[in-house]
Amino acid sequence: MYKGTNASSGIGIGTAVIVEETELVIEKKTVTDTEGEVGRFKGALDKTMKDTEALAADLATRVGEKEAEILQGHLMLLMDPMLIGEIENTIKGEKICSEFAIEMVCTMYANVFAGMDDELMQQRATDMRDIKTRMQRVLLGAETVDIASLPAGSILVAKDLTPSMTAGINPKNVVGIVTELGGKTSHSAILARALEIPAVVAVNDFMNQVKDGDRVILDGDAGCVFVNPDASVEKDYADKREAFLAEKKELEKYIGQPTITKDGVTVELVANIGKPKDVEKVLQYDGEGVGLFRTEFLFMDRNSMPTEDEQFEAYKKVAEALGGKPVIIRTLDIGGDKEIPYMGLEKDENPFLGYRAIRLCLDRKEDIYKPQLRALLRASAFGNIKIMIPLVTCIDEYREAKALIDELKLELDRKGIAYNKDIQVGIMVETAAASLIADIFAKEADFFSIGTNDLTQYTMSVDRGNDKISYLYSTFNPAVLRSIRRIITCAREEGIMVGMCGEAASDPMMIPLLLAFGLNEFSMSASAILYSRKLITSLSTQELQAVADKAMSFTTTKEVEDYMRGFVAGL
Amino acid sequence: MVSRNITIKNASGLHLRPTGMLCSEAIKYQSSVRFVSRGTPTNAKSVLSVLGACIKCGDEIEFVCEGPDEEQALEAMIRLVESGLGE
Repeated sequence: MYKGTNASSGIGIGTAVIVEETELVIEKKTVTDTEGEVGRFKGALDKTMKDTEALAADLATRVGEKEAEILQGHLMLLMDPMLIGEIENTIKGEKICSEFAIEMVCTMYANVFAGMDDELMQQRATDMRDIKTRMQRVLLGAETVDIASLPAGSILVAKDLTPSMTAGINPKNVVGIVTELGGKTSHSAILARALEIPAVVAVNDFMNQVKDGDRVILDGDAGCVFVNPDASVEKDYADKREAFLAEKKELEKYIGQPTITKDGVTVELVANIGKPKDVEKVLQYDGEGVGLFRTEFLFMDRNSMPTEDEQFEAYKKVAEALGGKPVIIRTLDIGGDKEIPYMGLEKDENPFLGYRAIRLCLDRKEDIYKPQLRALLRASAFGNIKIMIPLVTCIDEYREAKALIDELKLELDRKGIAYNKDIQVGIMVETAAASLIADIFAKEADFFSIGTNDLTQYTMSVDRGNDKISYLYSTFNPAVLRSIRRIITCAREEGIMVGMCGEAASDPMMIPLLLAFGLNEFSMSASAILYSRKLITSLSTQELQAVADKAMSFTTTKEVEDYMRGFVAGL
Repeated sequence: MVSRNITIKNASGLHLRPTGMLCSEAIKYQSSVRFVSRGTPTNAKSVLSVLGACIKCGDEIEFVCEGPDEEQALEAMIRLVESGLGE
């Protein structure tokens, strides 16, 4: 067994196909017909550009714009008059072949970039070497591996996946990917997840351990790879995959079914998403809307604030894709724990108790909050958008945000810009303070969504990332359970919608309790929707009251967990 | 020949993406489009040339256009930089 990094989940069983690009040998050859040689170079350049364009277009449609961007950058470099001019001059002046002229000029630029005191510029060195090799391959007629035509059941084994390789991958034929290099966030890992192909990366020296045609089993969750495994491993994994597929099939029956309990209570099963592209999964798993759209992605991994228009496009895209289904969008939840240089946030001693989320947004209305709220309002004309405010602790924060939204509505009225005049503005209930005054919030807010991850952390005063104390982190702790029940009761008394968007919303041990408490909406990762629907439709809220009463009568976390585990096992 | 000064306000300066925008606008004009920073002239039609100039946020550059459509070229370049080069 070989260990690597689990990069894309699932089990792949198939035949190894080793994909290796041959090393190019670049010789310095003298040419006499320099005009002819320049023509040869121009021809190769032209072909390289066309190939790159095709790759970029393919990647953009199959995977995403972001993944294609790197190739767009290559195109810009290939079109550069200075680069082309210098290669031409080198061919003419030194009377040398195109391959060697390209080698000289591109290597020179790559070295210049590599030596710059700027990480972004240093990345250009890699780009420069990539386009160099690509042009040289065309000139030398070196074969490029045709991944698109691999036989079905292939496990792709490579040192690393280059953009040109990844573009050809077809999930119908490639059932797994193993690479020697890379990490969870490398290009190959991102691509594997986007295509839902199980993958293990960073398997040390793997190319020397496997040959073409070997039988390979990889476990993309555990991060391990077996080459020519013995019968017991083979059977083990065949069973695992079988069970996985059977379960998947069983759950597919619940697509298109209403989420309604045995005693006729309908609840909403919606999804948490982090970027517009995630909507595809929501629709695939039959989500009834979006219960939490985190907007942080718009602000991360970039060098300047996203513009209002850019945000508007992203929100509109999601709202339109969901048709009339509800889309709850949470305004920016960011603080000193995130590195966002252009925002100029100071390091917070205690980021989770510090200057973050609504606190930061209300302090920076002009450059952060107003553009985001305006974008949300404008997008509300295109679907059923609701605005959710994170980390509120006192009613003043809600009122101030609400007043700001009203002010922006008037501004849009004056400009004659369309928006949903009845847009709902709710809060994320995730602090102990908000829970304790949930009755006050319920009179003013349009809806609640309970964020159990933070609610548990704040209620228990425990950082769940800290191994020494993470045993304290449990949503089944009586303190947390009372808090959750209280929030739901307060919302129900005022007749507002109350949902949950933390991990607990899809926990089979928690769902029966939440149904008994009267939760209206369950928001979870899209892949958990179908099994949750299966569970909910098998339960009756009336019968669950006794279960909830019993669970709430315990005094320790362990008793509650044991009891609920037993209850679920008995279903 | 026409020229004008402008300050770059992109947080990471002229890295690949804004440079690409700048150059693809510049090549639309017949006139030569250059800018001068720290006394060195740079060809605004070349991605490599612009990247090599290593322009940071807050740097002031002077666009210099020369040719039949120099006025339009200068106007377009200034507008593009002011708009934040797509960022």
